[in-house]
Amino acid sequence: MLNYSYDEAALQISESANENDMEFRIVLATDDPSILAGLKQVRQEFDENRVYTDVLFYHYPDREYKIIVRKDYYVDFVLELMKQRLLKSVAWAED
Amino acid sequence: MEQQAIWAVGIFLVIYALIISEKIHRTIVAMIGGLLMVILGIVDQETAVHHIDFNTLGLLIGMMIIVSTTAETGVFKYIAVLAAKKAKGEPVRILVLLSLITAVGSAFLDNVTTVLLMVPVTFSITRQLRVNPVPFLVTQIIASNVGGTATLIGDPPNIMIGSAVKELTFMAFINNLAPVAVVVMAAYVPLFIWMFRKKIQTTDELKRGVMEMNEKELISDPKLLRKCLIVLGLTLIGFFTHQLFHLESATVALAGAFVLLLLTGEHMMEQAFTKVEWMTIFFFVGLFVLVSGLIETGVIAELAKQAIDLTGGDLVATSLLILWLSAIASAFLDNIPFVATMIPMIQEMGSMGVSNLEPLWWSLALGACLGGNGSLIGASANLIVAGMSGKEGYPIRFVQYLKIGFPLMLLSIVISSVYVYVRYLI
Repeated sequence: MLNYSYDEAALQISESANENDMEFRIVLATDDPSILAGLKQVRQEFDENRVYTDVLFYHYPDREYKIIVRKDYYVDFVLELMKQRLLKSVAWAED
Repeated sequence: MEQQAIWAVGIFLVIYALIISEKIHRTIVAMIGGLLMVILGIVDQETAVHHIDFNTLGLLIGMMIIVSTTAETGVFKYIAVLAAKKAKGEPVRILVLLSLITAVGSAFLDNVTTVLLMVPVTFSITRQLRVNPVPFLVTQIIASNVGGTATLIGDPPNIMIGSAVKELTFMAFINNLAPVAVVVMAAYVPLFIWMFRKKIQTTDELKRGVMEMNEKELISDPKLLRKCLIVLGLTLIGFFTHQLFHLESATVALAGAFVLLLLTGEHMMEQAFTKVEWMTIFFFVGLFVLVSGLIETGVIAELAKQAIDLTGGDLVATSLLILWLSAIASAFLDNIPFVATMIPMIQEMGSMGVSNLEPLWWSLALGACLGGNGSLIGASANLIVAGMSGKEGYPIRFVQYLKIGFPLMLLSIVISSVYVYVRYLI
């Protein structure tokens, strides 16, 4: 698993585990175009990779996103968030 | 039989067996078969090129460009999510609506393209509802073949028949095949519900999750969408009216594709061309040349003569023979090479004195398109969905599908038999 940190003034991230998936909820605090663009880029990355069930995005009102991430794509997803600067730091969690 | 004809039959049978075995990609096999016909002098190159039906190829390429460009806008995802919301997140209703959307999409785009668009969005919706996607995918396979039956552009067999027989216009296909496709779909929907309703249950909370989704966000490029919808609309109008303007359907599709590329700019062109399924296009090229060997050496004429001898030239018997033979063959063989072989055979029957060929053409179209539902290898759309589903960890087994698809296919052919008999043969 990974530990990560983010700018809490800009967004809120929560995650929960299901049988085969991790479910993320990301709520953006503002319409900051750079964060929106980053999130769009994350989505595009997984939309274009020809794996249809790796990371699935669902958009809700009030700048809320539900993202269902297959467990084997958890690390890829978190690292993509980091790559798009939606996270400030990522580190391996100590077991 | 002359030596050349024996060679032609030998090459044809070996190539057909290799296509069925799927040991080597069907495009490579078909192209090698076609080339052998030329290299061995069974047909000369000019005759071979003459037999390649550029109307079929142009129609496929044009529609692939239009649909792949339109898909970039996210409109198909939007329609599917909107349908899920209209169904109030209820899985059974979503299953029915997605299968109906697939049927309509397959009629006016083509069935392979439609399932390629529907499968990803089906995974997305079913994952959110935490239900098994397989029932949704199986019903979409079946709906795509039924919907594709309804129009000239819906399924490759219809494209080939429409291209070979100039009198069979886009409107003629709709007038003659859409009614029976609607009846078949109406018969299937209650059966879908009965078969799958207990397998796709979900919770109220997950249904609410679907209801609260913002589908408008799925439209990624509204400006491009407007251009695509205008061109798609004009292209469909072009199909409905192509006979009035003495234009082939390929001309309409290619005109639509290149007007769209003109409007979208060069940057879309490269991407659109990479989305054209060139392997399918060359598969057709190889097949047309392969079958030309049988035509030029008189093999097809001989087969037609024997079919007429078998049925005594009786129109009812010949129509029903073609319908059922096409359906059973298309359930287990690729329907494209089968139809490529049957078309010249029916044309030959015309020159042998069968005066009314129309019931034979509709029987061939119904049998070849609906027969594709009989097994997982019956149509390209089936294989594509099964492949995508298996890759994502939801395999659709051959026997599992056969138990559902084959009885449904038989039902559709019984309905079609009644339809053909009542409409054309009484």
